[in-house]
Amino acid sequence: MLSHLLVWAGFAVTLIVLPLVFSSGLGLSILNQMTIAVIFALSYNMLLGQGGMLSFGHAVYYGLGGFIAIHLLNMVEFGTLALPVVFVPLAGGVGGLLVAVLIGSFSTRRAGTVFAMISLGIGELFAASSLIFESFFGGEGGISGWRDVGPTFFGVDFGQQIEVYYLAAFWVFVATLSMYLFTRTPAGRMANAVRDNAERAEFIGYSARKVRYISFCAAGLFAGIAGGLFAINYEIVTEENLTLVTSGEVLLMAYIGGLGFFIGPIIGAVLLTLMGSVVSDWTDMWMLYLGLLFVLTVMFLPRGLSGLIMMHGPAWRLGRLRWLILPYTITSIPAALFVLSLIGLIELAHSSADTFHYLGLPLATNSLISWLLLGAVAAVAWYGLRRLSPWLLKAWERANALPAMRGEESH
Amino acid sequence: MPILSLQQVSKQFGATPIIRAVNLEIEAGERHAIIGPNGAGKSTLFHLITGRHHLSGGAIRFRGEAIHNRPPYEIARLGLARSFQVTNIFHHLSVFENIRCALLWSMGYRYSFWRFVAREKRLNERTDSTLVQLGLSDLRHYPAGELAYADQRALELGLAIASGAELILLDEPVAGMSLSEARRAVALIRRVTEDRTLLMVEHDMNIVFELADRISVLVYGEIIASGTPEAIRGNRAVQEAYLGEVIDDA
Repeated sequence: MLSHLLVWAGFAVTLIVLPLVFSSGLGLSILNQMTIAVIFALSYNMLLGQGGMLSFGHAVYYGLGGFIAIHLLNMVEFGTLALPVVFVPLAGGVGGLLVAVLIGSFSTRRAGTVFAMISLGIGELFAASSLIFESFFGGEGGISGWRDVGPTFFGVDFGQQIEVYYLAAFWVFVATLSMYLFTRTPAGRMANAVRDNAERAEFIGYSARKVRYISFCAAGLFAGIAGGLFAINYEIVTEENLTLVTSGEVLLMAYIGGLGFFIGPIIGAVLLTLMGSVVSDWTDMWMLYLGLLFVLTVMFLPRGLSGLIMMHGPAWRLGRLRWLILPYTITSIPAALFVLSLIGLIELAHSSADTFHYLGLPLATNSLISWLLLGAVAAVAWYGLRRLSPWLLKAWERANALPAMRGEESH
Repeated sequence: MPILSLQQVSKQFGATPIIRAVNLEIEAGERHAIIGPNGAGKSTLFHLITGRHHLSGGAIRFRGEAIHNRPPYEIARLGLARSFQVTNIFHHLSVFENIRCALLWSMGYRYSFWRFVAREKRLNERTDSTLVQLGLSDLRHYPAGELAYADQRALELGLAIASGAELILLDEPVAGMSLSEARRAVALIRRVTEDRTLLMVEHDMNIVFELADRISVLVYGEIIASGTPEAIRGNRAVQEAYLGEVIDDA
């Protein structure tokens, strides 16, 4: 119990301190983006990771939450509504919830392919209607508004980015805590049970459909809150917010971060936001790297990055994590060289200038020597990796060697 | 009044009749076994009683209430629980979590999302005592999917008995077990079904004659005999249709 409290206190402190560390305009804008992505990705994992529902249309609830929020902001601006901006995300959440109540009533009948296809269809339906119902969705230009309107919140009018950050930080804390606590309730536990084996859940008294429906509605609520925060942060919501692209992004975040652990989608959201802002600043090939990361995760880390971290739990409990420091450090040298030379090759192929500066190295783009150099580094690094991997594997086995498990004995 | 009664129950898949006008009454407190050759329709009969399949005709009553053609979860809530021939557990949940989930509905938690399972003392105590009863306490933290086969079968049984259901249906509870494992399983079944009604499908005649008070013989979707183990042993029609040498061995 105490360790739980410490984790949540640590989370709160991190949220408070982050903008003091990254206080630049860019830093704050990335932080705001992250908080929104974290809520959205966690809400997606209520479906996929916790409830076993693969959705290709989760952006519907996020986007609609955003549109409802931006319309509310406009109503506040024109004085038809006196709602403090602090509560606008919640209103977006209620919007997402109501739509989920409607859609979920028929889409949660089945999980698996049927659910996935319905989610895809609903996503396309809303994306198409966004261009038809212009008064609500604003056509291609979307709807914009102002966040520094209406009654102030103890003198704060959310004109400043830092004020928006603390608003988002408040909601990310509340939403994350609520979503975590949901997993500890009967409805949350049964969501896992239905994910594992829907048929058996019915034979212990639960309607699998209703269990899914509850998770689905909760996921809609939190996606709507994320959408509401998006509206406040960017002061504009467009049809892109509810299309397949956005739905795909949140799937990538949750998957790369890891579906099996509560913290997984948080890691994924933070990482992908960083890739989308920092890496995209450095290279316009960042989508390629994102794609590669996704493919590699699916192939080699089915439990995502959080799974990779949690894999070290047994060694940690045995007090043998330090046995891995040396093998990891040594192996990481050829690994880094290999990855860097591959990135170099990709960027070299993509570069349109005569000379391409890579890691302080001027490489002539039209000279064979640059290609041979990077290729040679990659080959040597790959060879080094192959030579080191048995040693790494052995160290891993040694660090994880357990006394025989009782489950494997006959008794 | 019998706790479970089947009247003229029939089921066909397409044009093929699998169950033909079966009448069966199970009295409260008895241990009843259904035996019969492969393909006789034993598992289908179980699926009809527990709501996995709909009936083609007839009626099934549990304590006088019609339960046929109702969804499995409604039937389960009335106090009729079952296990499966092929292990059917929650693979990624821990052993403890499996049993706790099986207790939730019967303890009135329904779909609540405002109570925390960790805080519910009685729920966790009952989960613990069920695990002790099953002999699975030491494995409580392991994911169910990682257990050895015999332990998974014990958990399978646990999911059926945890809720305290009055009528328990076990579909080949010892299938695939070694002799010693089967012996342990029989002792376990005997223990956990005390004061309850048991209806089981089983292939192993030794186990049937050891456990059952009454036996019904199902052949080609029809019950050809029903009675005490002694009566079934001596029944000529049964011997001809099915038992024969199995009995001599026993």
